[in-house]
Amino acid sequence: MRLHVWLTIIGMAVATYLTRAPMFLALASRPLRPRVRLWLRLVPLAVLPALAVPLVLLPDGRLATSLAHPPLWGAVVVFVLAARGVNLLVAVGCAVAVVALLRALG
Amino acid sequence: MRERVRQGLVGSLALVPSVFVYGTVFGGLAVQAGLHPVEVWGMSVLVFAGASQFVAVPMLAAGAPALAIILTTYVVNMRHYLMAATLAPSFRGFKRGWLMLIAHLINDESFAVAAARSQPPDAGVYLGSAAAIAGSFVGGVAVGTLLGGLVDDPRRYGLDFAFPAVFLSLVAVQLRRRSDWLVAGGAAMLAVALALALPGNWHIVVAGLVASAAGALVLPVETDA
Repeated sequence: MRLHVWLTIIGMAVATYLTRAPMFLALASRPLRPRVRLWLRLVPLAVLPALAVPLVLLPDGRLATSLAHPPLWGAVVVFVLAARGVNLLVAVGCAVAVVALLRALG
Repeated sequence: MRERVRQGLVGSLALVPSVFVYGTVFGGLAVQAGLHPVEVWGMSVLVFAGASQFVAVPMLAAGAPALAIILTTYVVNMRHYLMAATLAPSFRGFKRGWLMLIAHLINDESFAVAAARSQPPDAGVYLGSAAAIAGSFVGGVAVGTLLGGLVDDPRRYGLDFAFPAVFLSLVAVQLRRRSDWLVAGGAAMLAVALALALPGNWHIVVAGLVASAAGALVLPVETDA
């Protein structure tokens, strides 16, 4: 239980509430402009790979160039399974298992 | 109203197991990453946005600055603006105090349930669904934080990889149009380049905003959404 963790959580809560409440409390029936809607739909599509791909490819802040890099194969597995409509938790579970297996072998 | 709340609740039951397990996985991984169970519960009740919580935990564990975590959370959750704008007209006549509370319960699953049933979405159906989803997520997190302490070496079981795996699975299911691939791939490459050049975690927010804004400016506006 640390103060900076709680301050971060409260900041996250305020930031998230600011994405929910303003449009909701306005009760406006005027829809968002199409280009704004498109942008809001694309934001998670851009943020999530921006987050995930460096975690996979830059394990220690340097580019992993070897194919003997278990997270690389885990990423391929989860991406292909999820794109094919496999339940997300199952896809994540398979990827985790592949990474664990490759680490045990390597 | 009561009947439609019941419909929303029953209509969400199919989602309850997976939301519960999603919460359990989050709770377990967050504890393994070094968060205290009470911190994890607090985050789940106060933030109540699964994807952004998954994003925050490894950043918190790595000691990222609070501002970077909060800003990343904001960007990941910007999609709520879309849902809030679509839901808002259905809630005319509700007291402001209730609206302030209901706003906090906006979530992807309940939005999908309510929007699939009627256009515009029904307030009662939405509330019933939000109750089911919030209850199962927070319940799942509580169970997960209790189980999370049981695994002593998460890396050995590949559990550290669960975070990027969750993010990649969420991307994979959202790729609808060919241009979506360009945005996602462009964001990934930009993020890798920025991560090599910049200290800290700013590559996430910068690459996410730049790639999505570039896509929204250049791509044709869709008519289906």
